[in-house]
Amino acid sequence: METVTPFKEIIDLIKEQGGDAFKYCYQCGLCDVVCPWNRVRTFSMRKLIREATFGLTDIESEDLWRCTTCGKCPQQCPRGVKQIESGVSLRRIASENDVFPGPIAPIRTVSVGLMGEGNPFNEERNKRADWAEGLSVKPFTEGMEVLYFSCCYLSYAPRLKKVAAATVDILKKAGVKFGILGSKESCCGESIRKTGNEELFKKLAKDNIKAFIDSGVKKIVVSSPHSYHTFKNEYPEFMVNFEVVHISRYLQELISSGRLKLTKEYGKKVTYHDPCYAGRHNGIFDEPREVLKGISGVELLEMPDSRENSLCCGGGGGRIWVETPKNERFSDIRLQQAIDVGAEVLVTSCPYCITNFEDSRLSLEDSEALEIKDITEIIQELL
Amino acid sequence: MTEKNLIDVLVVGGGISGIQASLDLADSGFKVYLIDKSPAIGGKMSQLDKTFPSNDCSMCIESPKFNECSRHPNITILTYTEVDTVKGKPGNFKVTLKKKPRYVVESKCTGCNICVEYCPVRVPDQYNQNLSTNKAIHIYFSQALPLIPYVDPETCLYLKDGSCSICEGVCKPRAIDLHQEEELIEVEVGAIVLSPGFETFDPKLRGDYGYGIFDNVVTSLDYERILCSTGPYEGTIRRPSDKKHPEKIAWIQCVGSRQIIPGGNSYCSAVCCAYTQKQVILTKDHDAGIDATIFHNDIRAFGKDFERFHQRAENLPDVRFIRSYVAIGKEIPDSKNVTIRYSTVDEGVKEEEFEMVVLSVGLNPPANVQGLATTFGIELTKHGFCKTNPLNPIETTRPGIFISGAFAGPVDIPESVVAASGADALCSQLLSYRRGDLSKERVYPPEKDVSEEELRIGVVTCLCGANIGRVVDTPSVADYAGTLPNVVYSQENIFACSTENAQLIADAIVEHKLNRVVLAACTPRTHEPLFRDTCREAGLNQYFFEFANIREHCSWVHSKDKEGATQKAKDIIRMSVARAEHLEPLQEFQLPVTKVALVIGGGVAGMTSALNMANIGFEVYLLEKTPDLGGMARRIHYTIDGVDVQPFLDDLVRKVYKHPSIHVSLDAIITEASGYVGNFVTKVKSEIGFKEIRHGAVIIATGADEYKPTEYLYGQDDKVMTSLELENRIVRLDEKVLGARSLVMIQCVGCRQTDRNYCSRVCCSQSIKNALKLKDSNPEVDIHILFRDMRTYGFKEDFYREASNRDVKFIRYEPADRPVVESVTEDGQPIIRVTVPDPILGQKIAIDADLLVLAAAIVPSSSSAEMAKLFKVAMNPDGFFQEAHVKLRPVDFAADGVFLCGLAHYPKHLNETISQAYGAAGRAINLLTKDTVTASGAVCEVTEDDCVSCGACITCCTYGAIEFKETPQGKKATVNPILCKGDGLCNAKCPTQAIKLKHYTDDEIFAQIDASVPDADKDSCRGCPGLGRR
Repeated sequence: METVTPFKEIIDLIKEQGGDAFKYCYQCGLCDVVCPWNRVRTFSMRKLIREATFGLTDIESEDLWRCTTCGKCPQQCPRGVKQIESGVSLRRIASENDVFPGPIAPIRTVSVGLMGEGNPFNEERNKRADWAEGLSVKPFTEGMEVLYFSCCYLSYAPRLKKVAAATVDILKKAGVKFGILGSKESCCGESIRKTGNEELFKKLAKDNIKAFIDSGVKKIVVSSPHSYHTFKNEYPEFMVNFEVVHISRYLQELISSGRLKLTKEYGKKVTYHDPCYAGRHNGIFDEPREVLKGISGVELLEMPDSRENSLCCGGGGGRIWVETPKNERFSDIRLQQAIDVGAEVLVTSCPYCITNFEDSRLSLEDSEALEIKDITEIIQELL
Repeated sequence: MTEKNLIDVLVVGGGISGIQASLDLADSGFKVYLIDKSPAIGGKMSQLDKTFPSNDCSMCIESPKFNECSRHPNITILTYTEVDTVKGKPGNFKVTLKKKPRYVVESKCTGCNICVEYCPVRVPDQYNQNLSTNKAIHIYFSQALPLIPYVDPETCLYLKDGSCSICEGVCKPRAIDLHQEEELIEVEVGAIVLSPGFETFDPKLRGDYGYGIFDNVVTSLDYERILCSTGPYEGTIRRPSDKKHPEKIAWIQCVGSRQIIPGGNSYCSAVCCAYTQKQVILTKDHDAGIDATIFHNDIRAFGKDFERFHQRAENLPDVRFIRSYVAIGKEIPDSKNVTIRYSTVDEGVKEEEFEMVVLSVGLNPPANVQGLATTFGIELTKHGFCKTNPLNPIETTRPGIFISGAFAGPVDIPESVVAASGADALCSQLLSYRRGDLSKERVYPPEKDVSEEELRIGVVTCLCGANIGRVVDTPSVADYAGTLPNVVYSQENIFACSTENAQLIADAIVEHKLNRVVLAACTPRTHEPLFRDTCREAGLNQYFFEFANIREHCSWVHSKDKEGATQKAKDIIRMSVARAEHLEPLQEFQLPVTKVALVIGGGVAGMTSALNMANIGFEVYLLEKTPDLGGMARRIHYTIDGVDVQPFLDDLVRKVYKHPSIHVSLDAIITEASGYVGNFVTKVKSEIGFKEIRHGAVIIATGADEYKPTEYLYGQDDKVMTSLELENRIVRLDEKVLGARSLVMIQCVGCRQTDRNYCSRVCCSQSIKNALKLKDSNPEVDIHILFRDMRTYGFKEDFYREASNRDVKFIRYEPADRPVVESVTEDGQPIIRVTVPDPILGQKIAIDADLLVLAAAIVPSSSSAEMAKLFKVAMNPDGFFQEAHVKLRPVDFAADGVFLCGLAHYPKHLNETISQAYGAAGRAINLLTKDTVTASGAVCEVTEDDCVSCGACITCCTYGAIEFKETPQGKKATVNPILCKGDGLCNAKCPTQAIKLKHYTDDEIFAQIDASVPDADKDSCRGCPGLGRR
């Protein structure tokens, strides 16, 4: 057995970078037990914590990058190890040293795009509002009820542009006075922060905050739970407080206040997947279900890992930009769960989840028909 | 309606702790009200199947105490009663009690159960953890005291909508009163003892591990009921979903405990490791084929004999202890089996299927604890338990209100019982001026002379719930017993020991003019005193009572052979009846008590009990073998919760010296100890010369020592020291210690190994305490604690996390791969290098340290063995003193009049020592307040004419009970009946049969042996020596 010596300088560095809570670990192993990785391959968060405790972290290890920040282990950790924040501290050290091993390399390109164009795809900033062409969406002006913040994925990714379109359809139908920021909108920065690039997150956040303030934004409706999370819980670090509403909750509000009336039927069996950042991180469980249950004809089924125990799609923590080998995708398991409970439609409310689910859907057998839909896409059909 | 009552002490909560407190208080001359909010006394202990580590049947050892309470003239039991208000001050509290309507008039009810049979409403049975049903009117449990039903107001149809009153109609004594109202009772009390107990953590609230969702996930308390013969499945292990017998069971530890997540408890519940091991052992007893898996973090076997108990469980076949917290994978729809996901070091996360899962739930404060605190005007801790004086854990924040049991925090039964006796000691101190004013003596009817009567034998066959009844065909046994010669009465009884049923036996003695009573039931070891007392109640000499053990000797060992067991039960009863024919009435002796106490050991334990007894008004002699009082506490400077020990100790020493009734002898050596309970004579040589002390009781508090390590370079390198040495150097502000950059502590040095197979209990907290102290003075110091299991039980768990918070690092090591310690030179500096494998890293960690601290074991005091010999008391295999009963007599010795406390009993923390010291004092004053003690009638006696003065009996007697006396016929052996324990060893040694043991005479025993073979078979065994002697 190899003999190693605790590395005090590294321990201190990890602490400085926000990994102080590693010290609490008493090695019970619960984080490994609940981690979705251990459903597809072996991964030990406990070992990662243990190494960090003694300053023995292998900065070039791919394991540093595995955590999808789904929140399952910190939710249950008996000692309060704060695995997400602690884990990010290690990535900060790697990022600062420009260490992105093997499959993690795309993070570099993503950072370039975010830095230059405000989106991870390195698409042109001035094409950010192209999705809204022909939908007669107005630019946001002061006095409008809400700002609709579509996020990079809904602005640029072809599949998700449909979700953006569905969303504006609904908002218009409900008579909501809203606008968009177009090219003044930048990536919310939530995921790049999780890769340890704190500087870039700060830049993106400041750009957005400036744009919000310049345009007189007070209330923001977001499609991505990741944007929701960072606007609500992280932007206040910059001493600003905007009212932020996730679309799934906003839909429920519009319906219950009578602004949005759904009269058509949707005669399908559906199941709802709780995105980590809507559900576990921010407690949005009931509203999307209430919306779905309110639709006549819908049969809402629950998958085994639902609500607080929802199974991560695999896209958080910057993993959406990393290629995950085919037999290691959590989303494959999730689709199977949906099929097993007899659902025809897997509904969710997160661009990363939809991206991963659509990917996994490609490898389904012909006999296993399953639609992947954002909740807004279903509502759109009923308008 | 209000009544006014004047009493001495109000005991609130009728669990084992409240029961013990009541009995001790009542025995020391106080009038006691024992109240409980439930319909019966007994508390959580009454729901347990067995108790660890002795695996005694819980109800069997608790229910005799129900009887004692019920028969005690100074105890009034009020069930279904709560405290409404408390006003006043110590010595004069005015308390209003609220007696909830049970809708049954207690004075009229006979407990016949007819109302229960007719009641049409089935409700979940709370006593059985809702695993079975009962009726809306029912008796709480079969042995309940009082054995009177109560009506559940939530489900009773009459109380809901008036639609049914069948019970009223069928009740012959007209005891049912569905219009009963709440009753307020006002009492004036001198002191209050709070013993409300605890609640188990409810995993349903957060849906932990699918409890409440998956049928086959049960709590440990549910499982106690499942194991129990009076439980929902009559003692066969079944699982709730399909009532099938599970073959593979998992236990999950720390449910609700040791966690900082919302809804959980940050503290360790202290009892779950041991109770789980108990459940595993019992499960394997039920069915050796069951596969048992325990998922745990640290194993906290910190109590006396727990280490062996853990090993016993671990070494059973098909028992796996797996170190991992777990999650439920899923419930399998068809089988209702449940999968558990757990982590391993080498093979990652695994998922495994179990047929049943038991959640080892922790202990919460009692229900509605805030209301309780408000009512009594006491403060609570941040965990919601009772706030106590750290140097007197029996005192609450309000003078005159004491506590005992788990309300102070999670504790096991012995500690609850100790604190109960301690509460007696403190109440006695407070109320000594009024002792005896309100109390009454027990009065028995005059004893009948039956010497001229014909034999009239009564036989009662007890079912012991299902313990006997499930195996032995008791109706046929009872019929058979009725056919035996001289038997005029034979009955069955479901629980003979329940208070009401014991009364039935007393009634039968009178009604049927019985003059011998044979009880076919359990063991005389626990129950003989109760039934002898029953005979006395009926005016029959108690030695006319005979026990036939058809449980331990029959139903338990032959549970698979019902027919054979039934036949054997008949044989045993036939033998007992034969013996009963020859029983003689015997008289017991009353001896005066010398109202003086001797305390051996001048540490905190000895001084605390001495001071308490002196304050109550007794003369106390305190012996200390060294030139100073203080003992081990002299070396403890601060406790983990921040108490400065030395000022407390100095104050205690001063009080002891100043007290006019305490006589201290230093440099004391006991040269001789003789005598017996109430009348000891101890000779002492001390700094002031020889002294002969006559005393009625003795408390042994001889303490313990710190082990002198031979391991890890101790004594070879001056950078290596023990925990106590470190503590000393910290308070002396030793620069080498305070200036150290790196320090390693190794736990379990000298114990938890073959030659010292026990855990020293205090060392984990000691190391954390010292680590925190070092961090206080130098936050930069690196501290690594190398441990096997961190045993920061109870609230000490918070300090374990705090140490982690302060960057103390913990590394687990296995005994097979201990740390390696070397003296090396690094950069020209001599240092200690400690290398230890870390299981999670799979690497060895090498730590360079300026100092190495060894958490050295606590070893029995060098004087313990000598004390054991002098006072004829037992020691356990580890050399600590052995109490009379680990659960229910934790500070008594088997030898009457001798008590123990402190480290001499087992390693323990200062506050635990203090609690135990009060406990021992409480037990001792119990004896000293009496004017006389009673000695058994079943002792040896010499027929002087036959004695040949050989002295064989004298040599063999362990108790020194026999000596020669001069008679006109020369020297003859004579027995001191007080010292004689009735073991009969001398009988076997005596060459002339001059010495005989009363109650076990040849006649009695041979009659029993002869009857072992039924008359019809006797012809075929002429050669039997037993027959030949007749």
